Amino acid sequence: MVEKKIAVRSQDANQRRVLDRATRQRRLTRQLDALEKDNFQDDPHASLPQLAKRLPQFDESNESGKKRKKTRGDHFKQRFRKNFQALLEEENLSVSEGPNYLTACAEPSKLPQRHFCAVCGFPSNYTCVSCGARYCCVRCLGTHHETRCLKWTV
Amino acid sequence: MTTLVLDNGAYTAKIGYSHEKVSVIPNCQFRSKTSRLKTFTASQLDEIKDPSGLFYILPFQKGYLVNWDVQRKVWDHLFGKEMFKVDFSDTSIVITEPYFNFTSIQESMNEILFEEYQFQAALRINAGSLSAHRYFQENSSELCCIVVDSGFSFTHIVPYCRGKKMKDGICRINVGGKLLTNHLKEIISYRQLHVMDETYVINQVKEDVCYVSQDFYKDMEIAQLKGEENTVMRDYVLPDFSAIKKGFCKPREEMNFTGKYKTGEQILRLTNERFAVPEMIFHPSDIGIQEMGIPEALVNSVNNLPEEMQPHFFKNIVLTGGNTLFPGFRDRVYKEVRSLTPTDFDVSVVQPHNPICYSWEGGKLLSENPDFDEMVVTREDYEENGHYICEEKFDI
Repeated sequence: MVEKKIAVRSQDANQRRVLDRATRQRRLTRQLDALEKDNFQDDPHASLPQLAKRLPQFDESNESGKKRKKTRGDHFKQRFRKNFQALLEEENLSVSEGPNYLTACAEPSKLPQRHFCAVCGFPSNYTCVSCGARYCCVRCLGTHHETRCLKWTV
Repeated sequence: MTTLVLDNGAYTAKIGYSHEKVSVIPNCQFRSKTSRLKTFTASQLDEIKDPSGLFYILPFQKGYLVNWDVQRKVWDHLFGKEMFKVDFSDTSIVITEPYFNFTSIQESMNEILFEEYQFQAALRINAGSLSAHRYFQENSSELCCIVVDSGFSFTHIVPYCRGKKMKDGICRINVGGKLLTNHLKEIISYRQLHVMDETYVINQVKEDVCYVSQDFYKDMEIAQLKGEENTVMRDYVLPDFSAIKKGFCKPREEMNFTGKYKTGEQILRLTNERFAVPEMIFHPSDIGIQEMGIPEALVNSVNNLPEEMQPHFFKNIVLTGGNTLFPGFRDRVYKEVRSLTPTDFDVSVVQPHNPICYSWEGGKLLSENPDFDEMVVTREDYEENGHYICEEKFDI
């Protein structure tokens, strides 16, 4: 029991893989991007055969008779299919003057960074040598090594 | 002529005729595992009996309208005979859009409102401007106010002086309700139960149990205690959508501190998650978003404005948006802004009775304003002058 506890921390430092700053930053960015996702599961309709899409839907059957005047040409349609990033680039804000979407973003906080255990969420005092994640006790470090540390989850 | 007011949020649309009440309706489409052929639009959410694993199709990305196909479907549903039965030949619309909206989105919006739906007149405006309008109507002696709008996609802090927004003071924090729900999902999935697919359920958990801590590190200590002493801990009973239609918190007296219940229901045990999640709005840097939290950003924004106006902003802070409904939100904002401002300034933080619909109510008031007809762009105007006239008239 005692031996096992020690094993978590006292691995030979030379054998341990240590992530560099750029990689750590990339992982953080990925984590933050994941927090912007609408869904984590696949579209439940994605696995359906294409044919299913053409089946009449009850709510549409009575509408299709008199469709409103359509103003959507090809050009129109294309303009309606841009994602956020494309629209942002199109605005060309970095060269424009005055306050805009980019300048309105809040500045970095002047308060000191606070640290929380990546496993249990309580305040933490220690940093994982390999990946830079925070942990609060040996038990959490063990969990961290087993589940996340150098494994590319989430 | 009737006026339809639509606060077109990224998560819910707040919609209603100016002479009627407001309805809050999901501004998105859904797909469910159980009904595999149908896509549900907006209020059809109620038809889904088992919303586990509910799949969202949202028209907004990062707070900006990008998916027009979805938005059109939702609007068709809202304006159509199932809901508001809009008579376009006799209706004007007041519709909201985000700060610094992109030009192409604005033009698409003009085209759809005037050419496709054929509204007789339209006013595009920021939701915060409607909130400020409402605030100034109720507090007519005040010259300035600063609106904190914390919604689904992000949080904006916007100073208004005599009804005009002060663009230089606008500040955006990229933390909103969506991020909070996703973060809660992530930590619950890592710590106890895989719920990554359950956005709908976990959003409900967030609304039911999360709160804003008044003393963060003290609550952290309490949350670490064992048994009865841990007054933060809650056991949340998850819905199974047959016997239990909606999740709920186990009453404290029924709580079993060993965490083992004889009844078969699924339990989530929540401790520091309850307040660490809303804490993101106050300290985005806790999860690595290097931005100021609300109080710091608010004080920073005001300090960059003309000195003689500053005291007026501090005593007119208005909180709107769904996130402000977390218990303790107002008190925390007050406490931190108070401690960051000189003592000779008054600080007052107002939380409206219904912070979600506050801007809609502002839109209703605005449509009754005698100047309203001057502010809108009519369809003839638009047909004569195109996008130019909208750009001229709308203060966006």
